[in-house]
Amino acid sequence: MKTFLRQIGALVRLSFVELWRRNDVFGLLVLALALMAPLSMASPFGASGASRYLDEAALLLIWAFSLFIALGTGSRLFPPEFESRTVYPLLSKPISRGRVLFGKYLGAVSASWSALAFFYALYFGSSLLRGGSASAEFFQAVALHFAFVALAVSVALLGSLLVTPSANLTLSAIALTGMFFFGRRLPEYAETLSAPLAWLTRLVYAVGPHAEFFDMRQRLVHGWGAVDAGVFAVVLAYAAAYSCVCLALAAAALKRRRL
Amino acid sequence: MKQSAEVVRIEHATRTFGAVRAVDDLSLSLSEGEVMGFLGTNGAGKTTTIKMLLGLARPTSGVVSVFGGDPSDPATRAKMGYMPEIAYYYPYLNARELLSFYGGLCGMDRRTVRARTDELLETVGLAEAAKRPLKTYSKGMLQRAGVAQALLADPPLLVLDEPFTGLDPLARIHFRELMRSLRDKGKTIFFSSHELGETELLCDRVAIMKQGRCFYQGPVRQLAGEGERNLERLFLDVLEKGAVS
Repeated sequence: MKTFLRQIGALVRLSFVELWRRNDVFGLLVLALALMAPLSMASPFGASGASRYLDEAALLLIWAFSLFIALGTGSRLFPPEFESRTVYPLLSKPISRGRVLFGKYLGAVSASWSALAFFYALYFGSSLLRGGSASAEFFQAVALHFAFVALAVSVALLGSLLVTPSANLTLSAIALTGMFFFGRRLPEYAETLSAPLAWLTRLVYAVGPHAEFFDMRQRLVHGWGAVDAGVFAVVLAYAAAYSCVCLALAAAALKRRRL
Repeated sequence: MKQSAEVVRIEHATRTFGAVRAVDDLSLSLSEGEVMGFLGTNGAGKTTTIKMLLGLARPTSGVVSVFGGDPSDPATRAKMGYMPEIAYYYPYLNARELLSFYGGLCGMDRRTVRARTDELLETVGLAEAAKRPLKTYSKGMLQRAGVAQALLADPPLLVLDEPFTGLDPLARIHFRELMRSLRDKGKTIFFSSHELGETELLCDRVAIMKQGRCFYQGPVRQLAGEGERNLERLFLDVLEKGAVS
């Protein structure tokens, strides 16, 4: 058990160090700070509508940044190891490929979570300055967003072992943003299509990563209250199950990979 | 007289990639405390053999065992240290962080890793550059970092792929001394190289590969006693004629 924890700890630390020493992520955090600070100081003369717009803009920004970081981190877990040939000393150590994959995934998720926590801390701070307060839906929204990031990292990680890095980033971004914006409309859309395309659309709906399940922005902005605890739990379970399937497929791909 | 234990055993190992036989019916063994040089031109099958030794590639047929175990088992790999020919280690880490990372992978506790890191950085001459990011290192410095990570867990078997690549003459002398001291400590060393002079100076035995097949395997010291033949002559004979009488 000690060995397991030390190995996982080493891989997690590596992902953290990599993320926080990357110039693009550092730039993103500075950008978030630069954009959120004026939001917190904005005084919409007590007009709740204007304040909602600010909230919506800030939350969309957090979603975009978190997706960028999750995909960037997940997709960089293995390709640089192959390119720089560090995969050889890595896998020559007394650690199985499955454990390397699991440790790297945990590292990428926790590093992405740390960036997300930073964004939400900024958002929460700006919300407090504008008279907002912590609510149950806020904590639900944050928890679902964290679960989404874990899912997005697993999708990018799987893609990184199957296709080229640029194709992986493009496909993962299209799949996740496509489902985020249009996922809930796919069943209706399928009804309007003829047989082969309708089946294809239903297949995409069945196997695609449902990013829209995790989006609580509207509830948060309009104060519609928290979702039912059962629904919340099912969505978290969906994220866990989807991530597990992606990791299992990634482990199989890594095991079969010729080095 | 005590018989040295067998550390590496390769029996009729063949590894194919499609129609290409990268390693063809290779058999060799390595005893405890022995230093073996693995020679051959580019594409002779040296790196594939090393990958099979590390459990990174499975032989298509035949047997590869290290300390009597399967190298794809992490417990077997715990007894091996490997240094790759070229590795551009994580550029955002410094040498100390690199060794800490590999120490964690080996399951070592922090205190031991720290103590070994200090010792090894001194040994490989990177103590002064220990806090510099690896992206600022020269090729030779990266090689030395590679040596340090291979030695970190103090494994009884060292597998080194082209260890002299990128080293300047001074570093080469230093590395040769390091190899000798490791041999004196009873380490078993298996290394591939294009450097015939270094191989002749360091090895007890050599194996010479050509197109996936091993054409010569024997002690280096015997060569000196065979008139004008030295390792260079032997190597050229193998390349030109195949098997050596």
